[in-house]
Amino acid sequence: MNILLKDLALYLKKEKALVISDIHLGFEESLNKQGILVPRFQYEETIQRLKKIFKDLEINEIIVNGDFKHEFGQISRTEWKDSLNMIDFLLENCKKLTIIKGNHDKIIDPIAIRRNLKTVLGYKLNDSYICHGDFIPNDFEFHEAKNIIIGHEHPAISLRKSGRAETYKCFLIGKWKRKNLYVMPSFNLVVEGTNILKEKLLSPFLKQDLKNFNVFIVEDKIYDFGKLKDI
Amino acid sequence: MITFKEIPDKSSDIKKILHPIVKEWFFNKFEDFSLPQLYGILEVHSRNNILVSASTGSGKTLLSFLSILNELIDSSEKGILEDKIYCVYISPLKALSNDISINLLEPLKEMEEIAKKKFGIRIAVRTGDTTQAEKQKMLQEIPHILITTPESLGILLASPKFKENLKKVDYCIIDELHALAENKRGTHLSLSLEVLQNLSPGMCRIGLSATIAPLEEVAKFLVGYENSKPRDCKIVEISFLKELDVKVLSPVPDLADSSHSLMHKEMYKLIHDLVQENRTTLIFTNTRSATERVVHYLKEKFPKDYTENIGAHHGSLSREHRLDLEKRMREGKLKVVVSSTSLELGIDIGYIDLVILLGSPKSVARCKQRLGRAGHKLHDKIKGRIIVLDRDDLVECSLILKDVIEHKIDKIHIPKNPLDVLAQQIYGIAISSRIHIDDLYSLIKKSYSYKDLEKKDFNSVISYLSGDYSSLEERNVYAKIWYDKETGIIGKKGKLARVLYMTNIGTIPDETFVQVKIQDQVIGKIDEGFLERLKKNDIFVLGGNTYKFLYSRGMTAQVSSSIDRPPTVPSWFSEVLPLSFDLSLEIQKFRKLMEQRLKDKQNKKEILEFINKYLYLDKNAAEAIYNYFNEQFLYKEIPHSNKIIVEHYYDYDKELRYVVFHALFGRRVNDVLSRALAFAISRLEHKDVEIGVDDNGFYISYDKKLNVMKAFNMIKSNELKKVMDLAIDQTEILRRRFRHCAARSLMILRTYKGRTKRVGRQQVSSSILLNAVKRISIDFPILKEARREVLEDLMDIDNSILILKNIEEGKIKIKEISTDIPTPFAFNLVLQGHLDVLKVDDKVEFLRRMHKLVLAKISIKK
Repeated sequence: MNILLKDLALYLKKEKALVISDIHLGFEESLNKQGILVPRFQYEETIQRLKKIFKDLEINEIIVNGDFKHEFGQISRTEWKDSLNMIDFLLENCKKLTIIKGNHDKIIDPIAIRRNLKTVLGYKLNDSYICHGDFIPNDFEFHEAKNIIIGHEHPAISLRKSGRAETYKCFLIGKWKRKNLYVMPSFNLVVEGTNILKEKLLSPFLKQDLKNFNVFIVEDKIYDFGKLKDI
Repeated sequence: MITFKEIPDKSSDIKKILHPIVKEWFFNKFEDFSLPQLYGILEVHSRNNILVSASTGSGKTLLSFLSILNELIDSSEKGILEDKIYCVYISPLKALSNDISINLLEPLKEMEEIAKKKFGIRIAVRTGDTTQAEKQKMLQEIPHILITTPESLGILLASPKFKENLKKVDYCIIDELHALAENKRGTHLSLSLEVLQNLSPGMCRIGLSATIAPLEEVAKFLVGYENSKPRDCKIVEISFLKELDVKVLSPVPDLADSSHSLMHKEMYKLIHDLVQENRTTLIFTNTRSATERVVHYLKEKFPKDYTENIGAHHGSLSREHRLDLEKRMREGKLKVVVSSTSLELGIDIGYIDLVILLGSPKSVARCKQRLGRAGHKLHDKIKGRIIVLDRDDLVECSLILKDVIEHKIDKIHIPKNPLDVLAQQIYGIAISSRIHIDDLYSLIKKSYSYKDLEKKDFNSVISYLSGDYSSLEERNVYAKIWYDKETGIIGKKGKLARVLYMTNIGTIPDETFVQVKIQDQVIGKIDEGFLERLKKNDIFVLGGNTYKFLYSRGMTAQVSSSIDRPPTVPSWFSEVLPLSFDLSLEIQKFRKLMEQRLKDKQNKKEILEFINKYLYLDKNAAEAIYNYFNEQFLYKEIPHSNKIIVEHYYDYDKELRYVVFHALFGRRVNDVLSRALAFAISRLEHKDVEIGVDDNGFYISYDKKLNVMKAFNMIKSNELKKVMDLAIDQTEILRRRFRHCAARSLMILRTYKGRTKRVGRQQVSSSILLNAVKRISIDFPILKEARREVLEDLMDIDNSILILKNIEEGKIKIKEISTDIPTPFAFNLVLQGHLDVLKVDDKVEFLRRMHKLVLAKISIKK
């Protein structure tokens, strides 16, 4: 297998490419603006968690698969600063950085342009095609690809036994038409995500019966939980 | 000094102080003063602090208003009626209008008719529903009597303009004090009262309460402290005035050997018969789900008799639905209404002939409150029936009945030093004035709830409010008050401060309800905890109808209507009422008396006589109790107040070991003891155990060898608090309570910039908040408060410590026994009911455990 699940990221071995999804930087600020006075930890923790991943892998390029920045109303100076610092941090750790524009990324372009980066809606690496997942692309490269890697959904799964329930971030791996579909968990460390056992899913890729999708839970390591129908 | 007023005043003395018009009105209407009035009118007249404890319908509300109207009319007649608020009346009920109209507006109108002129006495109502125009009017035409709620009073005290009108208040009436003293609304009020007293030093406080205990403490709570001593207060206690016709009923002759289905069939038949024999019946269940179930079954089993004439009334139904139901009850259109706790308070529901309690009300006070809904007129006989479904219930209810008849009542728990309410109140004080923190501290300590507040906790709340925990550059976002450390002065900060306060004040947590919808149509609400338990295609009951659960998104659950399918999900989980500690001791005492008699080899007849005399029961019930105790005695041993039996029981079918603690201390204590034990086991053996808890005891079950008693003996009374802080750290209940505390202390603003946040949003944000706060400090005041609330208010750590001390000192002996069929007393605990099951491991360990299970499942398939 060329594709390796590494913590909340996904690694393409041959291409030495690391994919991360849905960081939603500035999530706490957006909560603050709604009157929820959460102290800020997200930026620092995201950096620490990425550092651990970088340490174990040889990375040529990094693909940010959409929703890099969480937006809610005006962007503060701190948020600008954090966004740029985060991009610089990623640039320091790879030779090439690609930013895919997600449905939340209204202001990613002005930020990217400061570092001479262009944003794209999809990105092909050999037989893998990486896109955010809020819509189904229709270009030639997409149709050619064998593996589709998406974010957007923030999959998480809640496990329960005798009254106890806990929610964990997870990867979902299954089929979309005849292609392999990889659904990545969000790299937003503030929240777990959407409970796929209960909540209605958003991505058009997932408007299908998911019972045969494989679930991989991310905690201290990756746990293979088999097929969704068995959980 | 707190004193009891033992002798009523003379009717003639009261007549002397009454204005002729008031006197004429009164005696046109009533023959003579009621007992509470004989005790109270002169006290209010003399502006003495007074606490009146008497049952509903005894004329308490009128007694307070009578003195005050008397005073105002007198002043009006003499032409000295001032433009000021004479009286502030506070009630926890939002729907006050009815009570006020009967006890204040109508009397005033009728007195004016007698006098054939207007007195110019203005009465105004200020609640959350008061319009802007009415508020403006109130500022211009100052009411003489202000009717309000604790929350609205809080807002008024923080409003610089209105505050001016609260500087010469003579009387403050607090109605339904029993519904306030034991929760944070009361804590909040106790601080507001101190702020008010500070403005109006001459104000007297009049507390009106249903029967409540301990009266001295409630009185101190009412009046507060001055120079570290309780202010003077007279207590008037008037016990049950009404005649009682109350019985404990069993639907089947033999509670032990009847099948579940037979029991249910007979129970509904019994309910049906009782309902049909009476004109109107009010049925109380202990949970919302049970309320739903009863309505559902009655409709299903007797479709001809129950159609439009039956209704459910509980907290998860919409306000409109409840108001409509109350209206239909008053109009006499309903034959039977089923309710959980929502109809316990004084909502006017017209005349009820019979009150049925389904299952134990779990406390004497609650039992009285519920029974009191029957026969609302003063001298009506109270007719109540308690239906029991098992033998534990029978014993419990029989002892409740004994206490009701003998006028004993269980003590309430008054929360001490809640830091979240403190934060909210300090914020309110800071936005209306500048104050030195030392003066603030001594003002706060005048409240009963905070008289022992430690300086360091006070300081930590000030630090929290002034944003001390965040870095300097971010402080702007987090600081709520302005605080000058040099001078020690605090004050308002930011333009929005007042708006934020007014729109976010309050102590009642937003319930975590999820909207239930069929496509876009809203059906009702369910508890979030309940949603947690629903799987796709589960059938559940709501508003008497069944629905199929499809999926949820955010705080909405999509369902489809499901016709003719039985519910697959039984009950709500967390809202089971706990047995009061005092009552548990009464039951234990009875157990001891029974053991003595059985040990003394008294014959059946003698013991039956004793039971009959002790418990006011009929023959069948006494026989059932005798058999229950005798079986336990013959089989093994009876646990009681000086003896906890620890029963080691092995279930061969499930290959599970149980260690059952016959610890009849009520859930609030057992929750503590069992969690502490589970924690000790997890530390000692790193093993996976399950715990079941109920009022009568708790058990630990496991599949391998485990030394439970070694772990139990490790728990010491002086370390219990420390252990419990750790034991509850990862629990759902702490998370939930933290959300409430965060909202009260304005860490989560429920309403911000004109938008109101849904509870779901609050829930998500509070778990984020909890993680963040833990990183700042484990003693962050709001987190500390959440732990205090769980351990002291929800659970009962103080009495748990007491029990452990008694064990350590040998006053309670532990006796171990082994069984392969559980003893009768253990039966319910082990085999019946819905018990909370909790496991003690962290999130990653839980995941590993679940992973192993899945792996096993996969390997079987292969």
